[in-house]
Formats: sequence, C-alpha cells, structure tokens
Amino acid sequence: MATTELPEPAPKDIGPKNPAVQVGMDVVDYIDERTGVTTGAKWFLFRNIPKGTSWFQTLGFTAMAIFGLQAITGIVLAMYYKPDPTVAYDSIAHLTNDVTWGWLVRGIHKWGASVMIVVVFLHMGRVFIWGAYKYPRELTWVTGALLLFMTMMMGLTGYLLVWDQKAYWATVVAVNITSQAPILGPYVGEILRAGPEFGPDTLSRFYSIHMLLIPGGIATFIAIHLFLVSKLGIAEPPWSKRRLAAERAEEDERRRAARERIPYGRTPVPAGEPAPDPVREPVKAEADS
Amino acid sequence: MENERDMTVDNGDQGLYQGPRAVDPEVGDLHADDPGYHTRTRFLSMVAIAMGGVMTAAILVPVVGFAIADSLGDEVWRWVDIGPLSDFAEGSTTSLRVTGPDPEADRRVFLRNRDGELIAIWNRCAHLGCPVKYSPGSDGYACPCHGGAYDSRGLVSAGPPPRPLDRMDVKIVNAAGQDVEFANAKPADRVLVGKAYSIDAEERPYKLRPPGDPVEGTLAKLFPFV
Repeated sequence: MATTELPEPAPKDIGPKNPAVQVGMDVVDYIDERTGVTTGAKWFLFRNIPKGTSWFQTLGFTAMAIFGLQAITGIVLAMYYKPDPTVAYDSIAHLTNDVTWGWLVRGIHKWGASVMIVVVFLHMGRVFIWGAYKYPRELTWVTGALLLFMTMMMGLTGYLLVWDQKAYWATVVAVNITSQAPILGPYVGEILRAGPEFGPDTLSRFYSIHMLLIPGGIATFIAIHLFLVSKLGIAEPPWSKRRLAAERAEEDERRRAARERIPYGRTPVPAGEPAPDPVREPVKAEADS
Repeated sequence: MENERDMTVDNGDQGLYQGPRAVDPEVGDLHADDPGYHTRTRFLSMVAIAMGGVMTAAILVPVVGFAIADSLGDEVWRWVDIGPLSDFAEGSTTSLRVTGPDPEADRRVFLRNRDGELIAIWNRCAHLGCPVKYSPGSDGYACPCHGGAYDSRGLVSAGPPPRPLDRMDVKIVNAAGQDVEFANAKPADRVLVGKAYSIDAEERPYKLRPPGDPVEGTLAKLFPFV
C-alpha cells in the first residue's frame, strides 16, 4: 500500500500580528538586543531536571516566596512602626487596631515568620535526606546554611520590636546566651545590645539589623544560592539507578585503590610505559660556540 | 652587534632594522616566569588594588567604628542618693527602683539592713539577666525565667545561676559630707548606692561580670578579656 506523504502543516504565524502583541514583542526585542536577558532567563528557567523530581523540590521556592511575603508586609509595617522605646508598643497597637487591615498585614508578617522557619527546616531536611548536598553542591549547602543563620537572626531581631514584656525579657535572655560564647561572646553581646545593658539604642539597632542589614544579606545569598542551583542542576534522587551506578563505581574504585595500596584518585602508570615527552626541550647553554 | 640578542632584519624599501627583539623566539620572554620582575601592567594592577583597598577601608573603618565602638566598654557608674538611713529600718529588706540605661529594664536594688551591715543586692539574675523578685515570706529571691533561687544574702540556693546575685557599693555620708561607718551612722545620714560588682559564694568581690559568667573556676577563664 502506498503511503501518502502528509502535507506540511501550514505555518500559522504569518500575516500582521495583533498590534498589542506586536508592541509587547517589540519591547522584549528592544531589551533583549541590548541586554541578552532572554538568554539568561532561558538558562535559568528551562533546565533539564532528573527523573523523580517531585513536590519535595518545591520547598526551596516556598521559602523564597515566604521571604518575599515577609519583605512586602515588612515594608508596609515599617510605614507605621516607630522604633523608640517610649512609643514602639503604642505604634504596634495603633497599626494593629486602628489602621485598615493592619491586623491582617501584621498577622501575615508574624505567622509568616514562623512558617518561614518551618519551611526552611523542611527544605534543609529534604536536601539532607536526598543527599543533595554532596559533590558538586557543597557550596549550595554552605550558602543555604548562611541563609538559615540569617533567617534565625531575623527571628531574634524581629521578636524584640514588639517591645512588650515577653519580647523584652526573652531578648535579654537570648542576648545573654549569645554572650556565653567563649572569648569573644561578651563583645558580641555588647555590640548587639549597643552597650552593657538594654537601652533605647538596642531597639533602633535591632530595627536596623532586622529591616536593612539582614534582608540585604538574605537577598544576596538567595541570588548566589539560585545561581548555584541553576548552574549545577537539581540532584538526582537517591533511588535513581544512574546515581546509584555512579556512586557504586566510585566506591568500587576507592576500595580497589585501598586494596592495591595506590593513592585514590590517581591512575597508576603501568610499568614499562615510557614517561611522556616534555613539552619543550630545556634551554641549553651555548657551550659549543 | 652591540648586544648578542639584537637582530638585523632587511625590510626592503623601509630599510634595515637593527635592534633588540621584542621577544626572542628561542629564549622566550625571560621575565615571564620570574616572580620578582615587575612589568608595568603588574605594577599598575597592584597600585589599583591598593588604591581600592585604601578607599574601601576609608569607608568601612568609620562605619564599623561608628556602629560598634561606643557599644564596647563598661557602664558608667555614679553615686546615687537613695534617702536617709532612717528609711531602711534594722531587719528590713527594701526594694528600690534605680535608674539604668533603660526605663523598661526594671532595675532595682534590694537594700538589706540586717546583722549590723548594709548591703545592696542588684535584682539582675546571675543566670541570664531576668529580674528577680524578693519574697518576704521565704526571705529569698526567685527568678521567673528559669527557676534560679537565692537566699537572704543573694547566695545561690537552687537553680542554674553560676554565681550569687551581684551587689552595688553602699556608703553613708553625714551632713558634713564625710563618709561614716555604718556602726557610727546617725538616722539622718544619707545612704548612697554606687558601682556594681560581682561576688563569689564566699562573698569575695570581683569585677562586674555579665549574667551567666562564673567568677571563678575553669569556665571563668573562657572570657579572658572581660
């Protein structure tokens, strides 16, 4: 039976475009021609991911999304909050009870802080259980650990800002625990407190650290973390046959090296093999002339 | 030729070149792998890096100093008149509010006039700095945070505190402005409270320590600069 060649489907994107679409494409083209940003966006977004990637791998994005939520709600809370011991508590009461939707925005910021800690730990546990911190992703883990530390510092500094009795004494205790670190601990405590005891400068200092210093650090390290994730790709799950085979081969090689008493990671030169030629003849003194 | 590395090239119409080679192809750049030799590029790179370092330091040193310098160092203490001796009857322990750096800090001294001596006990718990409360019934101090308990003289009787409650210097000044012994003081003489200090379990005085630090033993050596 003779097969009939199907005709090529007619291209659909011919003819004049919708002007609105055309304007949008022109804008993208204008920017792309001058920045190459679409190449970067494609490099970042359209990556191959290993088989077995699941909802568990979305926890990192969730943590970042909650950081964005905290940043947005924090910006608007800062429009009403006053970091002064005499008015701090009253300004919180004002923005919670009087300002429109203040209870909602402050509630999102307060509960979002707790959720962020939970999600960050779930994300870390996922990476740990999957073994995704292993070579070559060690620095992704290190930057993630710094992000965890900064997230905890956000919790500590934000807790004081409410300036009620619980916030005050809990932070007194927390800073005194910090001072227990050997040798330099007392200095860290004094720098955090802005002096030997809690005072008005402590509150404004915690406010500055909470809304300027650490958010900048977190944003910077999220960028580095994401760059590394995109560059190195998502780790294969531990049950991936490919990864198991690669790790088994590596383990076999290590055992063989131990058995034959050769340095691991170096291929032994078989006996009798001549040494490779030097790239260049060594310069000789002109003795003959 | 003057130098044996010089070369002679006949460039035809443009004449004869006679002079040093740019790079001797046989010997190679003699300085390429000589770490002691400074090319102009290398010198200028180092100058640029040094200038960048100086400019960064010119910004960062004042900024960091501004942020932390005043935070370091001890609190400034001064003598505070807390009233005539007659306000503190024999056998009583009086709770007094004293000003600290922060009005929220709830800083108090307990002036204990008993057994022929006058001592001022600071209410800052020696464990982690919460304010302790005096209970007349048990004649002791209790901390609400982690269950630290102290006896009538502020010595640890239970809980986590590593040392007794800190104290403050007390002196009595008569109408002429002279210091007087407690035994010779008249009821109208003024009582002054001054600098705080830490004590060990035998009530020997030590330099004031932050909460949590023991004053003696191995753990006290963890903080050599305090």
